[in-house]
Amino acid sequence: MNSSEVEGLLERVATQFMLGEDAETVSTLALLSQIAIPAEASELVRELHLVASKNMTGEEAWSDEASRQRMETGLDRLRQILSQPIAASEAVAAPALAVRAQPAVSSALNQDPELVGDFILEAREHLQTVESGLLILEKEPSNPDTLNAVFRSFHTIKGLAGFLEFANIQALAHEVETILDLARTGELVMTPNLIDLTLESSDYVGKEILRIEAQLYGRDLGEVLDPSALLLRVKAVIGGDHSSPGAVAIVEAVAAVEARAVIEAPWPVAETPVPKYAEPASTPVAEATAERVEETSKDTKTKKTVVTDTPAIRVDTAKLDYLLDMVGEMVIAESMVRLDPELSGTKNTRLQRNLNQLRRVTEEVQKVAMATRLIPVGALFQRVNRLVRDTSRKAGKLAEVELVGEDTQLDKTIIEELTDPIMHMVRNSIDHGIETPADRALCGKPQTGKVQLKAYRQADHIQIEIVDDGRGLNKDRILAKARERGLVGEAVYLADSDIFQLIFEPGFSTAEKVTDISGRGVGMDVVKKQIQKLRGKIEIQSTPGLGTTFFLKLPLTLAIVEGLVVGVGKERYILPIFSVHEMFRPTVGQVSTVQGRGEMVMVRNQLMPLIRLYRSLGVKPKNEDVTQSLLIVAETEGRRFVLMVDEFICKQEVVIKSLGASLKNTQGVAGGAILGDGRVGLILDLEAIYVERRSKAEILKESLIEA
Amino acid sequence: MSTAVLDAPTGTKEERSGKYLAFHLGPEEFGIQVLKVREIMGIQEITAVPHTPRYTKGVINLRGKVIPVVDLRLKFGMEEAAYTQRTCIIVTEVEGESGSMMIGAVVDGVSEVLNLSAADIEDTPDFGGEVATTGLLGMAKVKGKVKILLDIDHVMTHQDLNELGKILS
Repeated sequence: MNSSEVEGLLERVATQFMLGEDAETVSTLALLSQIAIPAEASELVRELHLVASKNMTGEEAWSDEASRQRMETGLDRLRQILSQPIAASEAVAAPALAVRAQPAVSSALNQDPELVGDFILEAREHLQTVESGLLILEKEPSNPDTLNAVFRSFHTIKGLAGFLEFANIQALAHEVETILDLARTGELVMTPNLIDLTLESSDYVGKEILRIEAQLYGRDLGEVLDPSALLLRVKAVIGGDHSSPGAVAIVEAVAAVEARAVIEAPWPVAETPVPKYAEPASTPVAEATAERVEETSKDTKTKKTVVTDTPAIRVDTAKLDYLLDMVGEMVIAESMVRLDPELSGTKNTRLQRNLNQLRRVTEEVQKVAMATRLIPVGALFQRVNRLVRDTSRKAGKLAEVELVGEDTQLDKTIIEELTDPIMHMVRNSIDHGIETPADRALCGKPQTGKVQLKAYRQADHIQIEIVDDGRGLNKDRILAKARERGLVGEAVYLADSDIFQLIFEPGFSTAEKVTDISGRGVGMDVVKKQIQKLRGKIEIQSTPGLGTTFFLKLPLTLAIVEGLVVGVGKERYILPIFSVHEMFRPTVGQVSTVQGRGEMVMVRNQLMPLIRLYRSLGVKPKNEDVTQSLLIVAETEGRRFVLMVDEFICKQEVVIKSLGASLKNTQGVAGGAILGDGRVGLILDLEAIYVERRSKAEILKESLIEA
Repeated sequence: MSTAVLDAPTGTKEERSGKYLAFHLGPEEFGIQVLKVREIMGIQEITAVPHTPRYTKGVINLRGKVIPVVDLRLKFGMEEAAYTQRTCIIVTEVEGESGSMMIGAVVDGVSEVLNLSAADIEDTPDFGGEVATTGLLGMAKVKGKVKILLDIDHVMTHQDLNELGKILS
């Protein structure tokens, strides 16, 4: 007997019955009765067949309550009968499965790594659907579309895993699918406990996939994870009378046995089928907010479907990079042709028109090619959803997420690099920002805190905001802590924004107690470093009692940088414009030599070190006289310094290219770029140039002291 | 170090046979396997990169890709020579630690493609204790002239090849 086949048929009957397709119901039941199933089941099938036939012929009508009831309970019972023996046999087999899976996995891997690779990608996408779906179900447990979507995803995962002989995943997905199916037919309500269980199952699948992936690339991530405990819990739900508290109790008992470190949830554990978190003293304001949040979540959901429905294909990134290279070359070739003296001076209007057309098309192609690397931030935001749910529970708080602008597009690499910082900041917002429900009630705020994640495009960059309506940053405490640690002098006055920036100092934390979520003061400095690495900026706004907002300003893509092209001697260098403040021709007397610190320049009453770029880069300059040169004020990591160059050539957007494996780590050079004439210009790493200069100065100082 | 570092030449004679691109540096003739050559281009403006060894001349734009260029004369510890009309950049594709990469090699000029049979190729002779011969595939005798066959993967991915100059001088 093929259990999935029977199950499929049963599924079909239920749907057909529901849709009132009587003839089909009868024929499917007939099919079912032909398959060898347990005696009790086949008897039931025959009985149902009779009922359905009578309905079809008009002998009885579905409108007759008794007949309908009989069919419904019959199908129900059938499902139970069919799932039990399977469940029982699998429960016994489960521990054995874990052992058996190992060779099976490797054999499938050996057979067709490409297929497994596809499975990994596809399963991950489905897990994402599952996760976001479950979070919606948490709010509306019987949303049919979402239930269907989650069910389908598990179903697909099950099918693929079965095909590739990943028995553990298949077994678990099968059981979870059954739960979801029961929920779909309204026999089970997706209580928070069930959602937890399903999420855990999806986590398990995710971890297994990670392991399979590692194996695929020849790394070993350890043993197959044992799903039997999880399987038992899932089965307890299916096997038991699920609408009674008993089933939930079993689940919880197993959970307790496993001794998971989950802090008691602050809301009543759902022993009633009422799915919504009870808000004991919900004020009208709270309700209004909740409703609004729900509305917006619906909005974003519809928007999301639009995004995911766009047909898409997977393209090798190497291919895309090559395309971008070629497009870049095409743009250069085009401008070389267009600016050729013979053509640019032409009086031939047709030629001029055609050249203009060529330029327009080239520009368009370039724009489209650049856009291929951009993907919507939606996937990243979805992960925040889950994080907020888990963290707020752990911290004993209530929090909701609101996502705005999920379809805002950003470079894929940026999104990948952004995940950790954003997760960290959201975790902080919940742990430090959002107050406990009791505290919130005291302040007259709705008990459920809100974390907003917004993304939108602003001119040539992307802005991401992480907004919470928590207690806000405590300015005085940050300042006190900074003074205590000697970061800020006693008499120094700081603007609010500067005070907030202090939390990005390494090891800085004002948390009174360290929790396992955060508070160790590790992290915000890493966040800032990471954002800076992405050529972004981070700013904070905070109002006591009303909340904190983190503003991230990020470039659209890492592939392009706006640069100043400057000349030193015969060479041309590109300085990233985001680290350049101003440039000027110095006057006599502006530059002075300070003993032990090298040359300094006075700019607007501030003394800054002077770096002669030709010395740092070892090229022969046009002149060594500072007053004949151009000075550029630059800033990296908050330190300002002055660079001396021969001349300013132009301002240009350039595509950043790697210098290749052998020159990748060259000090002072961040990469290369192809300039308008087709030659390579070097993009300078100002930070490295500054650090190198400083270390030289220090060596000089030390040698002076020794002398 | 007084002991010689004498690695066995890579590959058997049979494996070494095949087509070679012949080029010269000063009076010396060299060959590299044609399969390793992506293209040959005339000398062009090379953008110098700071803080790199002297033999790294800089980088060029190869149809949208930035690739490094090495002056083989300097790499082998030979005397630097001014670039002429005949100076070429041989773009090679070599296997490094992180996969294959393209590197340009500046040579005085390329001459021909040689079809070398196993019989034409001899193992690198022992140059005495001071000289390491890694980076060499062997020697080929063509029309009475000796051509040095280079293991270009090794030449491009290792730094200490000055000793090769000792063979040449």
